[in-house]
Amino acid sequence: MDTFSSLAILGLAALVHASFQLSIGVMTLMSGHAIGTKKSRAKLFRLSAAYITGAGVMTLLLLSLTVLISIHLFNGGIPLIAWTVCAGLTLGIGIAIWLFYYRRHKKGTELWIPRAFAHHLTERSKATKQSVEAFSLGLVTVIAEIIFIIPSLIVAALTLLQLEGSWQLAGLALYTIISLLGLIIIWGLTGSGHSISKIQKWRENNKKFLQFAAGSALIVLGFFIYVNQVVSIAAGAL
Amino acid sequence: MDTPIHVLKRQNKKRIRQALEPFDREKLHKSITVACISSGAPTGQAESIARKVTDEVLSWLEKRPEVTSADLRRIAAARLKTYHPDASYLYENHRSIL
Repeated sequence: MDTFSSLAILGLAALVHASFQLSIGVMTLMSGHAIGTKKSRAKLFRLSAAYITGAGVMTLLLLSLTVLISIHLFNGGIPLIAWTVCAGLTLGIGIAIWLFYYRRHKKGTELWIPRAFAHHLTERSKATKQSVEAFSLGLVTVIAEIIFIIPSLIVAALTLLQLEGSWQLAGLALYTIISLLGLIIIWGLTGSGHSISKIQKWRENNKKFLQFAAGSALIVLGFFIYVNQVVSIAAGAL
Repeated sequence: MDTPIHVLKRQNKKRIRQALEPFDREKLHKSITVACISSGAPTGQAESIARKVTDEVLSWLEKRPEVTSADLRRIAAARLKTYHPDASYLYENHRSIL
């Protein structure tokens, strides 16, 4: 795979990561409470910046860990079976997101995550008052949505392994920045005075579309990996 | 209002454990103010709306010595809707964001 194709796959995987709504929901709640309790604009800016930095650091750490594990597992090159499993996982979770992403028959944007976990994150986002708490909340939220982002991380890690050294660092940075786009958009909207209720209404009105887009993007990514890495190599070996 | 009002709070999903706690006017007032400010209302307007809605909820509660927290939230959201629909939406739905 050439450098351009690898970076394009990294970009798509990161966009899929960015489309997941748990970290966006937590940030919406945290910003809502900060505005509602009359925190200053500067304080809201600092809290949001700390939260996004926390989410970025955890994304970077998780991706680096996945790359490290892949290096140890596939030292002499990535076997066909690894690409096949990766494509299967990506397709499977893509279909699962089509079916189960949001809780059915529920108002709002309730996600298919354990209720105790959602309750804890809701309470923590209300209780967040300091930048260091917002940073930790960002770290935890990325871990909480790991079930959704794991295919993107594995695809990105295997793709990074095929890049040259300097491009690997660029790829890590590219993935991390693109994966934070959703949060950066919310940051910009709240910072420019958009009300939290309007943002949340938009999220609720478009939740089916967001679910369809996230699931479809994963299916496209899985299918592309299967064709590009499994079928083409298997056909070349014949 | 002479009789103390109690709020039946749901403590878990299956309503197995429930707890009674006295109605707290300040708590209701504060939560409505927060919803209004989060929805873009200026502080003064938010306080004024919260006061009106709290008074309306209190008059609704007059002949009800015991209500559930869900009923209280539903009635407050319905009253708030007449003053600030966006705040009412946020007040009613903030627990279903995640």
